Amino acid sequence: MDFRLNEEEQAFQNEVRDWVQEMFRDVLPPGFAGVDPGPEEEEREDIKQIAAEIWKRLGAKGWIGLGWPKEYGGQESEAKSWILNQELIYNGIPGMDIAACQGDLILQFGTEEQKKRFLFPISRGEVKYAIGMSEPDVGSDMFSLQLKAEEKEDHYLFNGQKIWNTGIHHVDWCVVYARTDPNADKQHNGISVFIIDPRSPGITLRQITQITGLGAFCEVFYDDVKVPKENLLGAKNRGKDVSMYAFTIERSYGLVILHNAMRYFDQLVEYCKETEVNGQPLAKDPLIRNKLGEMAIELEVGRNLGDRINWMIAQGMMTVIPGCQNKIYGARVAQKLSNLGMEILGLYGQLDDTSKCAQLGGRFRHMYLSSRAWSLAGGTSEMSRNIIAGPFGLGLPSK
Amino acid sequence: MDLAFSEEQEMLWKSARDFLADKCPKTLVRDMEADELGNPPELWKEMAELGWLGLPFPEKYDGGGMSFLDLVVLMEEMGRACLPGPFFSTVVLGGLPVMEWGSEEQKQDILPKICKGEAILTLALTESSARYDAVSIRTLATPEGDDYLISGTKLFVPDANIADWIICVARTNQTASPEEGITLFLVDAKSPGISTTVLSTIAGDKQCEVVFDKVKVTKKDVLGEVGQGWTMVKKIVEWAALAKSAEMVGGNQQVLEMTIQYAKDRIQFGKPIGAFQIIQHYIADMSLDADSARITLHKAAWKMNEGLSCAKEVSVIKGWINDAYRRVTTVSHQIHGAIGFTKDHDLELYFRRAKAGEVLFGDSDFHREIVAQELGL
Repeated sequence: MDFRLNEEEQAFQNEVRDWVQEMFRDVLPPGFAGVDPGPEEEEREDIKQIAAEIWKRLGAKGWIGLGWPKEYGGQESEAKSWILNQELIYNGIPGMDIAACQGDLILQFGTEEQKKRFLFPISRGEVKYAIGMSEPDVGSDMFSLQLKAEEKEDHYLFNGQKIWNTGIHHVDWCVVYARTDPNADKQHNGISVFIIDPRSPGITLRQITQITGLGAFCEVFYDDVKVPKENLLGAKNRGKDVSMYAFTIERSYGLVILHNAMRYFDQLVEYCKETEVNGQPLAKDPLIRNKLGEMAIELEVGRNLGDRINWMIAQGMMTVIPGCQNKIYGARVAQKLSNLGMEILGLYGQLDDTSKCAQLGGRFRHMYLSSRAWSLAGGTSEMSRNIIAGPFGLGLPSK
Repeated sequence: MDLAFSEEQEMLWKSARDFLADKCPKTLVRDMEADELGNPPELWKEMAELGWLGLPFPEKYDGGGMSFLDLVVLMEEMGRACLPGPFFSTVVLGGLPVMEWGSEEQKQDILPKICKGEAILTLALTESSARYDAVSIRTLATPEGDDYLISGTKLFVPDANIADWIICVARTNQTASPEEGITLFLVDAKSPGISTTVLSTIAGDKQCEVVFDKVKVTKKDVLGEVGQGWTMVKKIVEWAALAKSAEMVGGNQQVLEMTIQYAKDRIQFGKPIGAFQIIQHYIADMSLDADSARITLHKAAWKMNEGLSCAKEVSVIKGWINDAYRRVTTVSHQIHGAIGFTKDHDLELYFRRAKAGEVLFGDSDFHREIVAQELGL
């Protein structure tokens, strides 16, 4: 038994840490406190520009798609891929795009031609991706989706609507799940996946403002949109396979949430050491010590869950249960931390980053609001519990 | 990174589980709760023969020369089986300190006897404050020529009623700093002046009040160095917190497994209750508590095994399993309904042990404070 990284991984981690320091020096503004991973905060113009710059630099470094085969620009190392993500996420560096994950799908299901066409621009950090899954009547019950894609002679014709399509107004490609066979014996047998250019004629986007005040969601209307046949990903009507695979590779989402939370926590600990109230640092208050101690325990437990799943992935083991457990856990701990931060900041917790007197850059106010999404996005915590209990998990009966 | 156990550890695991399933049925567990002494002699002898009592001690003292990680593997299974008796007191609270700080003479005298099942040890640490802090140590060891006279009352001393040796934590010097002036003594439990009363505890284990009334010990009975006792106590509490966590993780795992089985078997409204989403979600959360605690236990045990500093990791697991085991047994009671509320069902054994484990060697508040200190707060 050994919980340490091996020598090669350790060296890579050091290399990444040096590179992150370089980004702080060269690209990020002075005193940069970090942002959440994902496209949401790229709604801020300054963050959008930084993200684009870093994405390009990651590409130049050869660090996008580290888990991919060498022939597509990868290093065939899942471990390195996670080490990189962990450092970027902990430090709150904007830029890592979900294109890397969508590339995993293309690698698994794409034709040789698609791999050449789509993967290289991703690995060079030139293109950004979004995912189109939810619809007005389709949330957790994703296989009931209705966006229609009719096969015509040389294209598919799209009609219908998507919603909660995060960041689609900024990206080059969107991976969209649509119904290609309305008469399939089972709902999930009539779905296909497409790589769509959001600027195609007939697509209308309407931004939706989120609880944080950022307009990262879009409603997407498809009116007679022609999508070329060569943009079909995987076999027609086998979208279920793609979505299941997408689910298994999203197994690190819980860790993404946790490692992001670790940065907030460390900033909160520093705040408590430095902030004096009535002549005494907050850190001396027994109640605050207890709560921070409890939080640190929960974050460490989360780190250990991360070690477990990463090791299991490296061993090629089934990770359905741990992936879902980590998702539930990460969201719960991060949400709890967001409330703890608000509690400790008290009246200051109300203020956002633009306000006079804001503490910790108003980040906890942002986290308190944005963390609502973490138990919803990528499958709700309740769906994760269903999966843990079900046939691929603990095997509890369905009837 | 390699999170697998070795082949030997896997074997120890399996043999421990099989042995305890066979030799430690719940009828025995209940009998021992009611028993005055609380140690089944046959089982104690067999554990000695299996080499369990000497597992972590060097071979030259007839021990198994195995590691702390091996001990954790074994203790998980002991927790799963609700093993009664003084294994924890003898090996963890008594044997490990003797191995670490004992003189050659003390080691040669005591360790082989532990290994053979001929000596029971325990630690007399806590007093009326019921806290694990130095200021609470009020028992005095007053020098008198070449001897010391120990006087004071110790509380919650496990298995003192059957112990052959008691490691007594006493104050040899009154100083301004409570952490200084504390010394550990290896006291013959049959010494004149010692009186022991068994307390009636929630888990039915044998925690005792031990009154020391001018108990005479010699300088040769000092364990480690005079005045350096508190550093040793901190280390012992670290071992004990980790070992107790191992027992709790094992019990927690057993409760999860029996709850899953019950949810599959119990029919209500024409179907197994495990088919209801609310039960499924309860159990999913229980699995998260169980799995997260196990990996966290193994991380702490591995660090301790490697001789790396592990104060934080030990407090992380004890602070976590305290709450996780209570949550899991509580929800399990809700799922089991009335049957779990009876003395006929095993669940109540675990529910009571979860609470006992929680308060022994640091409740969650205690360990959160240690973690806070580790954060530099």
